[in-house]
Amino acid sequence: MRRAAPWVAAIAAALLVPFAGPGSFVLHVLILVLMWTTLGAAWNVLGGLAGQVSFGHAALVGVGAYTTMILYLKLGIAPWWGMLAGGAAAALVSLPIGLLCFRLRGPYFSLATLAVAEIVRLVALNFESLTNGPVGFLITALPPLHLGGWAVNWESKTPFYVAAVLLAAAALVSTDWVKGSRLGAYLVAIREDEDAAEAVGIDTVRVKVITLAHSAFLAGLGGGFYAFYFRYVDPDAVCNIGLSMEMVFIAMVGGLGTVGGPLVGATFLTAVAEVVRGQLGLGHLVFYGLSMMLVIRFMPEGIWGRVHRLLTRPRGAAADVALGG
Amino acid sequence: MSRLEVERLSVSFGGVRAVRDLSFSVAEGEILGLIGPNGAGKTTVFNLVTGFVRPASGAIRLDGRPLVGLKPHAVARHGLARTFQIVKPFPRLSVRENVTLAAFLRHPARRDAEAHADAVLERVGLAHRVTVAAGQLTLLDQKRLEVARALATGPRILLLDEPMGGLTPAEVGLASDLVAGIRDGGVTIVLVEHVMKAIMRISDRVLVMNQGEKIAEGPPSRVVEEPAVLAAYFGKRRVA
Amino acid sequence: MNIQTFVQSLVSGALTGSLYAMIGVGLTVVFGVMRIINLAHGEMVMLGMFGAYWGQSLWRLDPFLSLLLWAPLMFGAGMAIHRFLLRRVVPGGELNTLLYTAGLSLLVANVALLVWSGDYRTITLSYGAEPIRPLGIAIAVPLLVAFVLALVITTALWTFLMRTDLGRAIRATSQNAEAAILMGVDVERVAVVTFGLGTALAAAAGVLLAPSLYLYPTVGELLIVKCFVIVVLGGLGSVPGAIAGGVLLGVVESLGAVYVSSTYKDGIGFLLFLGVLLYRPSGIFGVGRS
Repeated sequence: MRRAAPWVAAIAAALLVPFAGPGSFVLHVLILVLMWTTLGAAWNVLGGLAGQVSFGHAALVGVGAYTTMILYLKLGIAPWWGMLAGGAAAALVSLPIGLLCFRLRGPYFSLATLAVAEIVRLVALNFESLTNGPVGFLITALPPLHLGGWAVNWESKTPFYVAAVLLAAAALVSTDWVKGSRLGAYLVAIREDEDAAEAVGIDTVRVKVITLAHSAFLAGLGGGFYAFYFRYVDPDAVCNIGLSMEMVFIAMVGGLGTVGGPLVGATFLTAVAEVVRGQLGLGHLVFYGLSMMLVIRFMPEGIWGRVHRLLTRPRGAAADVALGG
Repeated sequence: MSRLEVERLSVSFGGVRAVRDLSFSVAEGEILGLIGPNGAGKTTVFNLVTGFVRPASGAIRLDGRPLVGLKPHAVARHGLARTFQIVKPFPRLSVRENVTLAAFLRHPARRDAEAHADAVLERVGLAHRVTVAAGQLTLLDQKRLEVARALATGPRILLLDEPMGGLTPAEVGLASDLVAGIRDGGVTIVLVEHVMKAIMRISDRVLVMNQGEKIAEGPPSRVVEEPAVLAAYFGKRRVA
Repeated sequence: MNIQTFVQSLVSGALTGSLYAMIGVGLTVVFGVMRIINLAHGEMVMLGMFGAYWGQSLWRLDPFLSLLLWAPLMFGAGMAIHRFLLRRVVPGGELNTLLYTAGLSLLVANVALLVWSGDYRTITLSYGAEPIRPLGIAIAVPLLVAFVLALVITTALWTFLMRTDLGRAIRATSQNAEAAILMGVDVERVAVVTFGLGTALAAAAGVLLAPSLYLYPTVGELLIVKCFVIVVLGGLGSVPGAIAGGVLLGVVESLGAVYVSSTYKDGIGFLLFLGVLLYRPSGIFGVGRS
């Protein structure tokens, strides 16, 4: 692990926040930011690092959320285990999707992911014996949990906050780890030129399938957390194109392929959503669309990417797109 | 023993037979020049041999091992590397990173791969540009980089697709020396080239293609005198 | 099996399909020339639909007649979008352009949602309330009119592409942009005109569809997905392919709704879509490029 110390410090600091006694609204907003960070980072692993634009990631979030719900409501397995199972299920589902869709490249791949997501949504909507159809699932009470003799209070936001911190940390740390690894270098090669990558001996399909599984695991975890925190899941909430687009948005605005980008993008997204919806009473999606266009036009490396570049490298020096360093 | 054997290779695209019943072999340590007019199917042959395009029929063997059906990365692993006619650098990566990616194939540890990459870059004359972004190199240097990247995969045979296309005469001289040097280092070479002077000088043997078929094969000096070759290059004059 | 039902759904499928075809042609022409998949294409259709709606409710303009107003207007709007927005983004790469049009799509749809609210609206025509019944097959009049107009527009477009210099330049650029540049084609101009054309086609299809569908600001989301199915069926970049793909999708949906189930009819389209993408990426008619 590179740079382990800053990560440990950041996570520890984040975990100390509840001790400062923030109100439950502040904690709620932080939880949302961290959940979106996880989801944005999930998309970013595939879309940012490997340059494979998926418009269907909501399907993987949906698989995670539904797995968590079904395991709890039908089999009595607690949602914190369900979240992990949700991640695993999404990763598993992603394998055939990847083997299928990665036969296509560029925009063709993007279109295929869109179709797969629509199929998943239709299944969620119509396979009523498994998914409850359009009605979805509602958790009325979470199971009791005792940690070291302490009974966890599910009415407090704190346990959810802790879970969200751990999730987001898993997403960002694993992104950082991949970026520094040989796998990360392969992803950059694939993003830059797939034929050339094959020609130098990179098994591009295998690398992409592995990366999609990684991405899907994080998306599934995020979906599981969604179910766990909001206690409610239906096809509209977790399987729609809008959710896929929000994941794209977070990664894009934050900075495609950067480690910290999703955190910045998620903060921006949550802030915009709260302020615009709450204060101005306007559709927050207008601002998502507008800021996506502005970022691509004027700052294609994203907010984090721009800041990172200004901090680490003097203007005009050689490009160093994330191999190793 | 022949390093590369191609037997009765055929492929068509949308009804056009791009390569028809093509057979040839390349001996170890040889430089084979592949020439022919535009659209003769030379690049298609490279695409077939390297696994980018799957042949409709025919066999390809590298040191006796069949290659048909393998994906390009597997072909590279077997020791067959290629360059592209239109260079395909990873443009936003530095020169060293470009080559390091290729070096990973035989050197999984980053430090070894980088060391190997530097050695290869030294050999092709790019040592002074290692930190420059590949997209900012001159065409000559991009062609060098293309060769360096292929070499870094540790090939036994190297397929060069027009390494001299678009270069000035002086640069062609440099590039020819580089190719000859690589062969002297023990790598067998197949070369597609339009710069006739260069290919005639450095090839041990040339193979002439026209409309997907082999029309002549042999030492450069002899092949250029064959009527079929003259006809293919210079006109529709029927040759008896 | 009831032959009457079969023919009935075949006919209404083909009529709807002709409008799908128009939307698909717009997307495919743009893709052919610029290698852009315009994710905001569905919003252009939506704007056409609302154009027809407001034309009627504000100025008592016949929806079909309003084509003469909206198509040229959207042609201009499309050219402006290319000239002032897209042109500066396209050099940034395929991925950025795709995401940029995604942003545009979100923006347009949600501005429309703010301005016009999410209500479902319908257009009622003063004529053709009763379907006509040739040979006992019911045909909705608005759909029939739309079909005829779609036929006229598509034929006109085809003539334009085949017979005029600009049309030839568009086809040349679509087949091989580099060669077109070498032949002296002003690719910038071709791109601007093509984008205008694609936008106008989408909007015109929207105008024609408006009397037959519910209109609401986010209808584009549904249409764009159908549109992808169409152009992929026909082969991305191919105009005849998009026409055939559109009609095919219309028929498949309509038959599927009768013979399979209405809940899964969209699923059939997607399975077809995936199958074609994977096994015939140049389209089922083999005319497009992979």
